[in-house]
Amino acid sequence: MIGWSGRRKTLTILAFILPTLLGILIFSIYPFIFNVFISLTDRGKFHPNPDCSNTLWRVVEPTCWLSQEQRGIAEPFGIKDPWYKNYTDLIGGLFEAPGPASLLRVVITVLPLLGAWYLNRRLAKGLTRPVPGWVVWLGGLALTVLLGWLINVPEAYDTLLASGNFIMVNVRTILYVLICMPLFFVTGLAMAIILNNKFLRGVTFFRVVLIVPWAASTVAIMMSLVWQFFFRGQGTINQILGIFDIQGPTYLNEDVWAFLVVVLVNLWYTYPFFMVTILGGLQSIPLELYEAAEVDGASWWKQLMNITLPLLRPTVLPIIVLSTLTTYKIDAVVWGITKGGPVKGAGIPGATEFVMVHAYKQIFQTQAYGLMGAFAVILFIALFAATLYSLRVTRITEGVYE
Amino acid sequence: MNRAPSRLTKFFIYAILTLMTLFALYPIWFAILASGRAGDRLYTLNLAGMFVPTEWTWENYRILLTELPFLTWIKNSLVIATSTAVAAIFLGTSAAFAFSRFKFRGRQAGLIVFLAIQAFPGILALVPIAQILSALGGFGKAWGLIIAYMAGTLVFVTWNLKGYFDTIPIDLEEAGMIDGCGPVQSFVHIALPLARPALAVTALFGFMAGWGEFFLANILIPAPDAKKTVMVGMFQMAGEVSVPWGQFAAGAVFVIIPIVLVFLWLQRYLEAGLTVGGVKG
Repeated sequence: MIGWSGRRKTLTILAFILPTLLGILIFSIYPFIFNVFISLTDRGKFHPNPDCSNTLWRVVEPTCWLSQEQRGIAEPFGIKDPWYKNYTDLIGGLFEAPGPASLLRVVITVLPLLGAWYLNRRLAKGLTRPVPGWVVWLGGLALTVLLGWLINVPEAYDTLLASGNFIMVNVRTILYVLICMPLFFVTGLAMAIILNNKFLRGVTFFRVVLIVPWAASTVAIMMSLVWQFFFRGQGTINQILGIFDIQGPTYLNEDVWAFLVVVLVNLWYTYPFFMVTILGGLQSIPLELYEAAEVDGASWWKQLMNITLPLLRPTVLPIIVLSTLTTYKIDAVVWGITKGGPVKGAGIPGATEFVMVHAYKQIFQTQAYGLMGAFAVILFIALFAATLYSLRVTRITEGVYE
Repeated sequence: MNRAPSRLTKFFIYAILTLMTLFALYPIWFAILASGRAGDRLYTLNLAGMFVPTEWTWENYRILLTELPFLTWIKNSLVIATSTAVAAIFLGTSAAFAFSRFKFRGRQAGLIVFLAIQAFPGILALVPIAQILSALGGFGKAWGLIIAYMAGTLVFVTWNLKGYFDTIPIDLEEAGMIDGCGPVQSFVHIALPLARPALAVTALFGFMAGWGEFFLANILIPAPDAKKTVMVGMFQMAGEVSVPWGQFAAGAVFVIIPIVLVFLWLQRYLEAGLTVGGVKG
């Protein structure tokens, strides 16, 4: 701003941001710091109370602020030995015997796909390309499958799952995200392309109707409860199948089916977001480009691959990054449908027990607060790194002056 | 891409659109049908009854509104979500303006901290928040839940409004400044009136985040029934031994219809991408 500077400027800015700053310090940053402390202790069902005679706890621990009397009859909680024990309990499996090797084997299989992506980018820079893009992708995919079979990736995957519940739910969640993302994108793109066609009648109607699930996603827990009725043993799907004398399975009791149901329901919630955003991107592509392509005799498919998709990149990349993060953090949708089931037994995560669901169940069932603190810290670091990366992709912190 | 589709293509396109419409609307339609069915039956053996209302009764709505604490839950949720949204707007707007308009040290870092907080899911903050609230006496009370929601909503509000202030051209404020208008006046007299629609929409989304939230509400207000929020109450209803499905469906309809209407009304804001990074993606 022009015409004001110096101490007054600092004071004015401070006055503007102070309320939010205080709010964030109290509501977000202090709980997080407190959480880091909890993560170093064995706080839990059996040691719920602090030892208020300890100076450190008297400062950090809100229970000690009002009265310093010893509460309860249980032994107060103390620092773990060694202090990072909670962390090694969670991710230690990654660093012990079969862990690193299995992780490496799983990661190696993805390399051909990355190679295909890179090769395609190189080829796209030239004027002519010796092989079309889909051939390169197909080659990469074939190599991946071959490699996966050679180094026995399913076995490596199983070993990885067995090396700890935290790792298990993370691997499953990542798999879930990898399955969901292309589905969201393709559905959103297809619907956006259809709705962008000016020669169709009734498009406005469909545009309105098709975003209804987005509204439902704000009360995800409730609509998920409605969704799960369809997939019960005597549910709507099986009733309809029954007309054709087909006995469908009890979907939510079988691992693969339950997983797919959660994918489907999340598609229901999320495709409107993709559809609406991609539609906005489509409308910003100049029509002249398509007209020129028509004159050159380019087919519909060629126009899609060479005009639409490249020009949609700036729209699609941010929403894919954002949606990857939200899908990773999926909670209410799963909780309403399966509660993380099918149930395998006490303490064993079911097929749809994704990271947040697992966290919630742990807080509820085992009440191992110290362990959950470590869980939160690890995820915070991971999510923070992912957010910084997404920032680079979406560039949304830039203000008006930059 | 941009030519009139052939007759066959048109047929396929309309087939896809019809299927997608069925996919999009059927769950809600299903709830509406079930809410009008007599007794506690969620399903009907009558095939036609799965798609069109073959019977209709208002009995479930009557029980829901008069015999169950449903209206109390609605009231609790309204109070909690509204307080959160209003308080967050009240605290956050000026900071949003500062982050959009002023250059100061720590600005970039502050924005990154905002994003980091927003990326951090509430469930993971549950343990420290619950401990703090129970130490301070806010556990099981509405104000405790409001404080727990504030963390996320405040950041969302600040972030969203900053994005909106960025889109307001600065020329107006510069013109005001030449006439001797300081930063505070330019905020109160120029930027705030211009941002009124964005304030309303942001408050609404902040409200809806609190309205639909389940996990924090379920843990932080465990009992009694009369203090629960509507999401927790509905979830509990669906977990009872003999579930009153008809009433459950009636409650679902009661909750979902206003939200759908609000969304349709806000459609242009959704298309403008005002909420990217906000509610759900």
